[in-house]
Amino acid sequence: MTHASASPGLPTSPPQNGPPIVSIRDLQKVFPVPGGQTVALQDANLSIQRGEFISLIGPSGCGKTTLLRLMADLEQPTAGELLIAGRTADQARRERQYGYVFQAPALMEWRTVLKNVLLPLDVMNVPGDRLGRAREMLKLVGLEKFERNYPWQLSGGMQQRVSIARALAFDPPLLFMDEPFGALDEITREHLNLELLRLWRETGKTVIFVTHSIPEAVFLSTRVVVMTARPGRIEGIVEIDLPHPRSDDTREDPRFFTHATEIRELLKKGHA
Amino acid sequence: MLEPGPAVTATRPPWLAWLAGLGPMLIVALIAAALYWSLMLAANLGPAARTLASGAELDCRTALACASQLRNPVVPAPAQLAQGFARLSTPVTSPLALPYNVGVTAGETVLGLVLATVTGLGLALLLVASRSFERATLPWLVASQTVPVVAIAPMLAVLLGQYGVQGFLPKAIIAAYIAFFPIAIGMSRGLRSADPLHLDLMRTYHASGAQTFGLLRFPVSLPYLFTALKVSVTAALVGSIVAEISTISFSGLGKMLAENSRASDTVALWVIMGYGALLGVTLVALVNALERWVTPWSRR
Amino acid sequence: MEQTVTPSRTVAARPGAALPTAAALLVGVGGLLLVCLILPVPGEGAAPEARAWLAGILALLAVGALGVRGAAQGMSRAAQVAPALLTGLLAVLTAEGLLRAYAVPAGLIPTPTRVLAALWNARTVLLQDTYTTFVLEALLGFLAGTVLGLALALLVVRFRFLERGLLPYAALFSSIPIVALAPVIVKAIGLDWPSKTVVVAVTVLFPVMVGAVRGLQSASPLHLDLMHTYAAAPTRTFLDVRVPTALPFVFGALKVASSLALISAIVAEFFGTNGHGLGFRIQIEVGRFGLDVVWAAIVLASMAGIAFFSLVSAAETRLLPRR
Repeated sequence: MTHASASPGLPTSPPQNGPPIVSIRDLQKVFPVPGGQTVALQDANLSIQRGEFISLIGPSGCGKTTLLRLMADLEQPTAGELLIAGRTADQARRERQYGYVFQAPALMEWRTVLKNVLLPLDVMNVPGDRLGRAREMLKLVGLEKFERNYPWQLSGGMQQRVSIARALAFDPPLLFMDEPFGALDEITREHLNLELLRLWRETGKTVIFVTHSIPEAVFLSTRVVVMTARPGRIEGIVEIDLPHPRSDDTREDPRFFTHATEIRELLKKGHA
Repeated sequence: MLEPGPAVTATRPPWLAWLAGLGPMLIVALIAAALYWSLMLAANLGPAARTLASGAELDCRTALACASQLRNPVVPAPAQLAQGFARLSTPVTSPLALPYNVGVTAGETVLGLVLATVTGLGLALLLVASRSFERATLPWLVASQTVPVVAIAPMLAVLLGQYGVQGFLPKAIIAAYIAFFPIAIGMSRGLRSADPLHLDLMRTYHASGAQTFGLLRFPVSLPYLFTALKVSVTAALVGSIVAEISTISFSGLGKMLAENSRASDTVALWVIMGYGALLGVTLVALVNALERWVTPWSRR
Repeated sequence: MEQTVTPSRTVAARPGAALPTAAALLVGVGGLLLVCLILPVPGEGAAPEARAWLAGILALLAVGALGVRGAAQGMSRAAQVAPALLTGLLAVLTAEGLLRAYAVPAGLIPTPTRVLAALWNARTVLLQDTYTTFVLEALLGFLAGTVLGLALALLVVRFRFLERGLLPYAALFSSIPIVALAPVIVKAIGLDWPSKTVVVAVTVLFPVMVGAVRGLQSASPLHLDLMHTYAAAPTRTFLDVRVPTALPFVFGALKVASSLALISAIVAEFFGTNGHGLGFRIQIEVGRFGLDVVWAAIVLASMAGIAFFSLVSAAETRLLPRR
């Protein structure tokens, strides 16, 4: 399937019905530390439908990155159940169900931009025209003119866009993003937020997005999962009923502020 | 996309900047030449006076004039160096002339370096693969870095000769023996220095161990390899020359050094030093060129 | 906390594994020791059946290696130090056993015990050689080269002209093989030890200079700006910002230079001495097939090298508060 075919019919991209693509029950993660243990995540329950855009928000130490890494099978849970598309996280990883975008672009400095996007296709031995596919992805993030450049020749925002193209290259149904725009300036960040929403609408992926910015979470998401620290847990889930497609005007919508306040109250509640 | 790319500012063409950079080097070279000239006169003045006093036939009258014409000067005069250079460099293909011998030593060194790289790589793989092996041997490898390994060369030369290893090979083996430590240490560090994020990324791709090695660990370690090679190439050169001195050699820079050292031919020694320096600089430059070719992504 | 906490592979110390490890080590080391005691010294007694002994020695070595592997498990201090020591012991014993089994003549490869004996018998001469090579040539030359290198580095940093005019030559000089340089200097200065000291100083000079320049130039622009806002005097800025950032680079170069110094001293001695020095001793004894003395000299040179390196490292830990 080509990613572009999913776009025209879904102008507002409502969550689809059917079995959840991510289902989490009583999930727990405990790290051993010298002289004891840290509860990074406790009693997490969450169900995510196909096509949703979910943000995980909270202060540092709330376990949002841990939760994402558990879903990606980069960490093993100590208790609870976690199913990705009906399979265990390990199976889902083996079947390449998701693409992962890190906080840093994590591009390989010895590969050109194009070869970086090509990397997952080569590793997975994807059949067909890999080069064409990689070029298509670069075009999607607007960097087709830079395919021969090395990563260091690009700005931070451009590098992060390459990293997104790389995550989308093998067309996984899920996209995990761990504070991908955290290190960027506000202007670039808002610009990339719009780009990301466009990609989400066009490709119909399910996105799970870690952030610590309230406006970013409200602007992007269909639902925001608010987490609090010590121990890391889910404090509440906020439905965002802002219309799609969203634009800069969305930030002026009164509901935008209502939702932001709602999230802030939840975060404060966990802090007390 | 509105985001601007990195700014590209117009600069002077590289060759012009390069040429402009030569100015100070030229001036320093002139100062060095002047210093050399006075040093040469000062060093040779005493022997020149003695030679004059002994009544030897010379076509110069004062000690100062003779200082630049001694047969065996303490420090040779530029004209003597030029003569010596001409005498020792021609005919170019003669086994008695320097260019041929430089070629022999260069060949030994390069072969030694190849051997050293292969050995060093194998050792690095072992070090990375097994923690027991690392703990058992790494302290010895590190200690051996501080040991003057050349001290072993003469003995190794005799030993290899006893077991019938002759000609080109023993010198290359000794060069390799001296050069492989930095490569083993550098590569074992390099193979471990993959970014944890990249390792996570390969895990999300469900990449095999071989893929993670070939696509991630190996390319990451290449800059470390070249840093080590730059140290190793000079070490290998020293090793092959020392090996030539210590064995019965019929060609090579070391053989010429030993011969002329015994004969106290100072001018020849200076010329050989010049060739040795040229060879050293060339080999390092070759490694640099190879590095730029193999790792084009480096900024410098 | 939550960012990239990868669970460290916790290696549980299995108490059951201690016994086989100890047994393997005992069998390996003890067995090899026994082999060395049973076999005659090369050249004395009947030549032993080499093949059978080889098999036995290799088997004992394998058992010992298994023991080393067992001892290397876990994160304890002993598990990090013991394997290297045991490996050294096993290597020496294996060499001794093999040399005895094959009755290798001492003129070819002397047994470790013979080397020890030579070390003791020739101790006066060898210690004097070590003094000449290590103290008079390597250490003095190292000090002179370091002082000169640092002085040149200061000049280069102070005068931009010198940076462009002198620094390229320093890099060039670093790639000249010492062996080619040594005969020229020895011929010019004479056979006594000062000529070797000069060779050492010249080889140490350039790496130290390049390292110091790189260090002095790597001061953080932010720190320099900070000092500027304090209207600090140039000397204060130099002492408080440039020198502290340069020190790690300088010590990195000094560590490299310390092993270079000893190598240069030994190589320079190959081109003429007045009869003293480890390099001279090695060359003369190789010619006479007195390889036990050669090995004894190599052992002393290695110890000098390690002592030299430790000296520089100790100075580094004293002068650098961090790490």
